[in-house]
Amino acid sequence: MATERTDVVIVGVGAAGAILAAELAGAGMRVIALERGPRHAQADFKAMDELRFFQRQDTRPNPKRQPVTWRPNANARATPLRVLNYGNQAGGGSVHYGAVSWRFHEDDFRARSHTIERYGAKAIPEDTSLADWPLTYPELEPYYDKAEYDLGVSGKAGNLNGQIVEGGNPFEAPRKREFPLPPLHDDQAGKLFDEAANKLGYKPFSSPHAIISRDYKGRAACTYCGFCQGFGCYNGAKSSTLVTHLPLADATGNFRLITLAMVYRVNSDNSGRATGVSYYGPDGSDNTIEAEIVILAPFVFDNTRLLLLSKTAKFPNGFANSSGQVGKHFMAHIAPRVFAAFDDRYVNNYMGPNAQKHSFDEFNGDNFDHKDVGFIRGSNIAVATAGLEGGPIASAMGLVPPPGTPTWGAAYRDFFSKYFARHLVLLSEIENLPYPDHIIDLDPDVKDAWGLPAPRVTYDWHRQNENKQVEFIQPKLEELARAMGAAHVWRAPLGAGQPGPHPQGGTRMGSNPRTSVVNKYSQSWDVPNLFIVGSSTNPSMSGFNPTLTIQALAYYTADAITNRYRKSPGPLV
Amino acid sequence: MTKHDENRRAFLVGAVAGAAAGAGAVATAALVSNSEARTQPEGGVDSLSKAARQGAFFNAADAATVAAFAERLMPGAPGKPGAADANVLNYIDLALAGAYTDQQDFYRHGLAALEAHCRKTYGESFAKLTEAQQDETIRALEEGKAESFTWPQARAFFDTLRTHTMEGMFADPVYGGNKDFAGWTLVGFPGVQLIFTPNELESRQAFARAPVAGLQSKARST
Repeated sequence: MATERTDVVIVGVGAAGAILAAELAGAGMRVIALERGPRHAQADFKAMDELRFFQRQDTRPNPKRQPVTWRPNANARATPLRVLNYGNQAGGGSVHYGAVSWRFHEDDFRARSHTIERYGAKAIPEDTSLADWPLTYPELEPYYDKAEYDLGVSGKAGNLNGQIVEGGNPFEAPRKREFPLPPLHDDQAGKLFDEAANKLGYKPFSSPHAIISRDYKGRAACTYCGFCQGFGCYNGAKSSTLVTHLPLADATGNFRLITLAMVYRVNSDNSGRATGVSYYGPDGSDNTIEAEIVILAPFVFDNTRLLLLSKTAKFPNGFANSSGQVGKHFMAHIAPRVFAAFDDRYVNNYMGPNAQKHSFDEFNGDNFDHKDVGFIRGSNIAVATAGLEGGPIASAMGLVPPPGTPTWGAAYRDFFSKYFARHLVLLSEIENLPYPDHIIDLDPDVKDAWGLPAPRVTYDWHRQNENKQVEFIQPKLEELARAMGAAHVWRAPLGAGQPGPHPQGGTRMGSNPRTSVVNKYSQSWDVPNLFIVGSSTNPSMSGFNPTLTIQALAYYTADAITNRYRKSPGPLV
Repeated sequence: MTKHDENRRAFLVGAVAGAAAGAGAVATAALVSNSEARTQPEGGVDSLSKAARQGAFFNAADAATVAAFAERLMPGAPGKPGAADANVLNYIDLALAGAYTDQQDFYRHGLAALEAHCRKTYGESFAKLTEAQQDETIRALEEGKAESFTWPQARAFFDTLRTHTMEGMFADPVYGGNKDFAGWTLVGFPGVQLIFTPNELESRQAFARAPVAGLQSKARST
């Protein structure tokens, strides 16, 4: 058992935690970070091995050792989710993610007010707990900018200071300057998508990716190998915080990373102030870090779990949970997909970065008139691969054959051998509204390998607003596939109601301490020296992938700690 | 490939094996190796090494079942390598002795239930059924209609065998399947290509370069 003292302890060095580590250590604070997984070297990813990294999920949490359980409603028994699509190493999910790096729309930050202003209060579904964010896009813009330039994001501006720019996303929130790097090279999937979208009157563009299209900050450009989403990048062109920010933190001399460390409690004193964290080391040791500032930056599920595991007499319902909001308003994207298969051409969709290669944004957020559609909010639409990536194992698992074609036997073999290199997938990411009964709590039955209760998710996306969104978007995807000239167009099965990509919520931020867990600086209302960061703080989501917003918020928090909190510790709001 | 070609291939393979005409190609191969094993003198070094080659986890009967099952899931035909060509059995066998040791009981119980189902329905083991009977059996599992299954459930056993067959077809050959890039050749996947050029990214044609194995080439270079 060891006890150490430091200025700042950070739990989890993923997309957000590594940025905070680099920023705070760079500002002269002594930082210790605790990471549940290992710290990989670049060489670990030279094995471009679909079985190990995609299928056996070697960069993601093992669901047997670190289960997260799910049930559709409070009357059902929860069972472990079979795939946990987030990170389990230094760099977190940014190691294996598809690196799609959006800025949210301006109205994503104020979806409730915006909806009421445009459609009236009756347009807000009765069952949702939709709330505005406590900060606006203009407040976050400088931090988005910093994130894009520090990471290295490739893309084309669509809105420069209010001027619409040809070739980018005309619906994007106004940016102050161009992306640091030009878009990635188009592949067949992107070209086909653009042609079809243009034909239908949309404005397609190359999705922004945190993958460097040219050499940048000492790293070599992407070589389009395709072992991308689901994999660590073999040459470091993917701007994961493992290669962008952890080296910066190392260089400060103020940073120490402890890997294979399982944090199981946030410690506090009688006044309710956080004093540090306890963790199990890889040797089974029980250790404590004492710190002036405690930053929780694991994935969504573990932010809630850690608070619920850290109950005290002062906080009997979970640490920093006087609001009773911890674990509530859980959200995830709903992702209807349509397959398109071609008889007259190859697409070779296993080439190049896999995630949302090209997109259009006409049906996202409030970019279209919702007056008569019967729902609010929307979805990005993009072209992608059947699984996380485009290799044959992912396609054998994810490319569900069209109705009438079996999933095995000679007919399946002929289907798969013909269309593996001749198919692509049209993907939507529907914004899921927050609901107070979509929650994360502690599973009473299932424990992880450390004997700690597993996070349990109670959630079913089949709500009225979401069902109508799915019905609306599927024909759009089919229309697009046909406009591409696909010989065969069919829908992927939607599956049960379990959470899809990009889980968010559980420690929502807000303007009111009674209805939210943290303020806009991700600072606990109850415990001012506790910061809870990541997409668990999102009060609503967006039809966009969340990572760049998580990273901008991490910079925002780091700035507030460095320039304000350090001089005068206490509530920032 | 036409049905005629497949029938012809099955006929040829069956003719070679004599008694097993009509059974699946892999089942036939497994029967051949069984009969070979029987002709070896018992106990000697030779039979030990043969036994070692037989399987890291499966016994001969289970190996024949799994090989036959995998071949019906991904049947080979001329110019279209199947599960036997890719050595899927070897992949699953090694996986169950290694990364998937926690699924050994799943397979034991599942294979026992499959044997019971086939005995009850056809009076014969899965590997000795006709292809039509094998397909009928697989469909029964897929539809959850095989009553001999409790744990694992029939559908779960089908799903797992399908998943593992696909892994054996398409994983890097270092894992013991995808022999001679059988799976990658079948679908036209070029394996690990470190670089795709702009011309290749934009091409509407099939990609022509030969497959490269990531792990094997790595092993060779170190």
